[in-house]
Amino acid sequence: MQKRQHKEMNKFWRVGEPMVWLTGAALSLTLLSAIVLIVVIMTNGLGVFWPSAIKELELKDGSRVYGQQMRIEETADKSGLRRQYKIANRDLYGLDFRWIDESQIVTETAPGEVMVLERIEHGDFYGTLQKIETDRIQQVPATTYALLSELERVNTQKEELTELEEKLNDDSYRMEQMRLTLLKYDYRKLAADDPKRIELLNEQEELNEDFGRLIKLQTNRVAAVRKAKAVFADADGREKEIVLADIFQVYEPNLMTTGEKALFYLHKLVELFVGEPRESNTEGGLFPAIFGTVMLIFVMSLFSFPLGVIAAVYLREYAKEGLLVRIVRIAVNNLAGIPSIVYGIFGLGFFIYGIGHSIDMLFFPERSPTPTFGTGGLLWASLTLALLTVPVVIVSTEEALGAIPREMREGSYALGATKFQTLYRVLLPMASPGIMTGLILAMARAAGEVAPLMITGVVKLAPALPIDGNFPFLHLDRKFMHLGFHIYDIGFQSHNVEAAKPMVFVTTLLLVLIVLLMSSVAIRLRNKMKKRYTFGTF
Amino acid sequence: MNQAFRKKIKRNDQLAKWIITVGGMAIIFSVILILVLIAKVSLPLFLPPDSELYASNRLDNAAEVSAVAMDEYLETGYSIDASGLVSFFNIKDGSPLDHEQLSSDTGRQALVSVETFGRLQHALLWDDGSLTIEQVKFSPFFDEQNNNKRSIVHRIEQQAVFDSPTQGMPLRTLARIDEEGQQTRVDLFSANSLHVKILAVTESMFGDEEISEAEEQLEVIFKGDISALAISDDGKQLFAGSDQGELARWDLSDMDEIGLVESFQAFGDGRSITALNMVLGDISLAVGDETGQVTSWFPVRDETGNRTLTRIHDLSLHEGAVRSLARSSQDKTVISLGSQGLNFDHMTSERELLTLNPQDDIRIYQLTTRGDAIIALSDKGELLSWKLDIPHPEINFGTLFGKVWYEGYDKPVYAWQSSSASDDYEPKLSLSPLIFGTLKGTFYAMLFAVPLAIFGAIYTSQFARPRLRGIVKPTVEVMAAIPTVIIGFLAALWLAPLVERTLGSMFLSMILIPAALMVSILIWQAARKLEPLKRVERGFEFLAVVPVIIMAVAVASMLGPGMENLFFDGNLKQWLFSEMGVRYDPRNCIIIAFAMGFAVIPIIFTIAEDSLSNVPPNLKAASLALGASRWQTVWRVILPSASPGIFAGTMIGFGRAVGETMIVLMATGNTAIMDLSIFNGMRPLSANIAVEIPEAPVDGSLYRTLFLSAVILFIMTFIVNTVAEIVRQRLRAKYGRF
Repeated sequence: MQKRQHKEMNKFWRVGEPMVWLTGAALSLTLLSAIVLIVVIMTNGLGVFWPSAIKELELKDGSRVYGQQMRIEETADKSGLRRQYKIANRDLYGLDFRWIDESQIVTETAPGEVMVLERIEHGDFYGTLQKIETDRIQQVPATTYALLSELERVNTQKEELTELEEKLNDDSYRMEQMRLTLLKYDYRKLAADDPKRIELLNEQEELNEDFGRLIKLQTNRVAAVRKAKAVFADADGREKEIVLADIFQVYEPNLMTTGEKALFYLHKLVELFVGEPRESNTEGGLFPAIFGTVMLIFVMSLFSFPLGVIAAVYLREYAKEGLLVRIVRIAVNNLAGIPSIVYGIFGLGFFIYGIGHSIDMLFFPERSPTPTFGTGGLLWASLTLALLTVPVVIVSTEEALGAIPREMREGSYALGATKFQTLYRVLLPMASPGIMTGLILAMARAAGEVAPLMITGVVKLAPALPIDGNFPFLHLDRKFMHLGFHIYDIGFQSHNVEAAKPMVFVTTLLLVLIVLLMSSVAIRLRNKMKKRYTFGTF
Repeated sequence: MNQAFRKKIKRNDQLAKWIITVGGMAIIFSVILILVLIAKVSLPLFLPPDSELYASNRLDNAAEVSAVAMDEYLETGYSIDASGLVSFFNIKDGSPLDHEQLSSDTGRQALVSVETFGRLQHALLWDDGSLTIEQVKFSPFFDEQNNNKRSIVHRIEQQAVFDSPTQGMPLRTLARIDEEGQQTRVDLFSANSLHVKILAVTESMFGDEEISEAEEQLEVIFKGDISALAISDDGKQLFAGSDQGELARWDLSDMDEIGLVESFQAFGDGRSITALNMVLGDISLAVGDETGQVTSWFPVRDETGNRTLTRIHDLSLHEGAVRSLARSSQDKTVISLGSQGLNFDHMTSERELLTLNPQDDIRIYQLTTRGDAIIALSDKGELLSWKLDIPHPEINFGTLFGKVWYEGYDKPVYAWQSSSASDDYEPKLSLSPLIFGTLKGTFYAMLFAVPLAIFGAIYTSQFARPRLRGIVKPTVEVMAAIPTVIIGFLAALWLAPLVERTLGSMFLSMILIPAALMVSILIWQAARKLEPLKRVERGFEFLAVVPVIIMAVAVASMLGPGMENLFFDGNLKQWLFSEMGVRYDPRNCIIIAFAMGFAVIPIIFTIAEDSLSNVPPNLKAASLALGASRWQTVWRVILPSASPGIFAGTMIGFGRAVGETMIVLMATGNTAIMDLSIFNGMRPLSANIAVEIPEAPVDGSLYRTLFLSAVILFIMTFIVNTVAEIVRQRLRAKYGRF
């Protein structure tokens, strides 16, 4: 009996079933690690905007603190648990997060009157409202309702200010343009009494006056707006006077119902997509980064799509199989395999310092040594990425063309069509899902690539979007922001990494969703197409 | 058919053919173009330096002249003659400009010697033993009246005055003035009598100036006579060499404790030391001797912990004695004058840069402040000016790839440290630690990724249910699209702290997971006899394994702290450091292996899976029909047929890992060390480029070196990718499928 079992066991090993299980385990490990990655991003990213309750803690040393619980873990000496709270009030405490041992906590309550103030500077403030001061004569009671209506009033004033600011920006842009034109006149040695120059100088003077007037107006209005203030107190009763104009948003999480919280969450999501970043990118919205990413992908596609399709058509339809085609294939695969940083350094050396510098010399000599195109910008970053993603388009277009049965071509030729007509009317339409796949994959790659952008024009905070209302509307020479770089920048370059973490996770989640969505669509498209034509290939 | 229409479509056809062919060719050219362009930027690193004689004039009173020099605009030159007359002249045509008469504080107008140092500073020794330091300053002047015509104006500024020494006329004198105005004068009188005088002006708290003075006879314990002297630019260190091959060093930095630091036999053969000078940075000493050898020395810590002067670099070898040594004020270049003319050597790279060998012997010479030109006076009165083009003196194969003994180090090292706060810093541009870092990171990543990817691909293509395969494969392909910046960010900010906290559990799970698998396989042996469970063996194994893995990890994380307590005194990191001498960096190879492995797995997986699936099914069918088990079929039949494809996938994965930037930038710690330990980080080529290129001045040595490292990366991936592609093409030809 025992011998039989032994023999069976031996056979089991020889037959190799354990190895099959081992390969299965390898696959599960791979898939598990991917799932863990997604889960980590989801759990950290999704919860960021949920207004969780603020607890008031009374500690053993008698002090009190407001805070949102973030995590629980074992203390260093393994004697108990400790909790991490977000205590906000950076300007009072100097730090946003605090670890508190559970043994230190005496009582824990959730008072309703605690407010969260999202401020333009210094992060959030947790506290209770004490007093509202305005420049009007009548007293304003210290109630939430009064605070909200005051904020409303301040916000309308702020909107007016924004309009004024837009005017100012416009003026300063025009002034910059005039300065550049004057530089050009100087460079061309236009005489001092040339009518063109005199006209421009007069205009400049007018503009300067206007600008000065607007600045004065703005200073007055800002001062007026900033008169409305409110006093808040933290858990220990320490008071802090906050200018209402600095408050971005107020809410009382402990009084909110789940529905209100959900609405608030959605509101924050919208702000994420359309808002401007605040606090050196660690708070606020992602609009410029999203916009920059989209622009980059768009401009890149303009270059990589036609180039990739043409090269693939050449390889599949025009070139004769032989050494040359083999070399081209090797070249294409090499293009796909060159490290992205090498593309970046190529972009820097060739596009920026080579072509960009020559453009500056030819068209903007008067501005030197200030570079116009001779520095990183949207155009150069897009071109660099186009080179990087061309192989992706080539490979999938080629695959799509290869999957089209020979009969299609022969049928077309038999009807008297030329090669180009066959290509244009029959092959390309049939291969379009494959070409789309390539394009989407290329776009996904561009959305996630960071290293080459870092040296060809991405910046932490771009002063202006690449598209605006000023002629010529599309400014390809401008620097831009990018979601991927945003992650690197706020996760690694910001001075307060702990406070920046929620924003990094949100950005990560957004980027992962974009990229995964794009590539799943692309892969679905490709698989569908493969199925469509498999009848002819084998 | 319409003739015109026919013509049109024919023309279109031709046109399209041309455009498409050109487009296809453009792809090949762009690959070549990328290589050529980045190589072109790095190539000037290896170009030989160049010199050009651009002016040659005669000086009438050449025998009287004791110093010549030139401004940094290469337009105005001047000479100082024995009567203290400074004559300015135009370099190009030699036409005289103007004169200025210098005199000592005592009114003497006869010069004994002139010593030039710093930025055109001259220490003038007058015939009564008094000494003045004069600086000639040039500045550009734009004449607004005259269409902004540029001219160079000059003035002479007296910086220090020293009285005559009481001992009489010195044989040799050195004088320096430092940034705070401290003045140092060293005189050598006959018979090794070395005398130093220091004058310092300090401002007290109440704003009154206080002059402190120190005078001392220095201790000399040479067997021979002092034959050469050198003093650092700030006047804090004094060196002397003797005619018996001895060297001595005095410390003058503390006025109250001036004293001999060391004195020793530098050359065993007793050769006479004929010239001494400091190298820029005042750390290294250049020594020239009568055999014509130029060497460089700096203090190195010996076994007893004392710093002693040690011979570091051997520079050029002249025929006949070295007559004098000079230095560049831009970099660590040493200029030596021998009977065969002037030699330029870079100290760090030990590179012989240039030799200037005019017909007549050179008597005096002076390099410009920028180091881009040199003016020399021959003993026949010929005044020669050369333009020098030495763009990257510190670079050669030795400094890029070899061990170099840098200033301040105890031994030759491989080091990368491109910049520092001060200008006279010795850049350390060795690519070896970076290449090592790249290969190390790649190695660990591949160690993690290759087995997982290939085994996973085998399972997916051969054992999994076709329907599951239809889900798994696209999932892994989508994994490939996850941006590396996200993987790197998670690795650095989530995984690294996690691993650091649970290091014991992590190692434990590495043991527990295989163990648990083994145990569960044995249990399975019994359980598979049940019919409903046996269905798992029809391609669901990988799902059945999931709970086992999760349980193993859970058990490991529970037992981990206990294990650390039991065997490693409660803290594995501490134990590693104290018992094994291994430092634990939070961002280390374990993290890189996981993160970069995760990025590489989908690439290898996809290609390997493709090639495994493309093995003709009849092979598999035949093997199974002959009675082989499914594993035996895979191992003996499918795997050998698909091995080229798997190899190609591994190669491409390798190429990707080599060039990966964002993960390594965020999760390696970026320390350029050469250490195989799995517990510390590294600095790979790619991350190095990303970190340093924004700050590298265009066309500088660092900029070109970074391009060179891009070329190295390119070549590494080029070879790997080409091999992989050739293998794949062969495979494709063999099985006739795409």
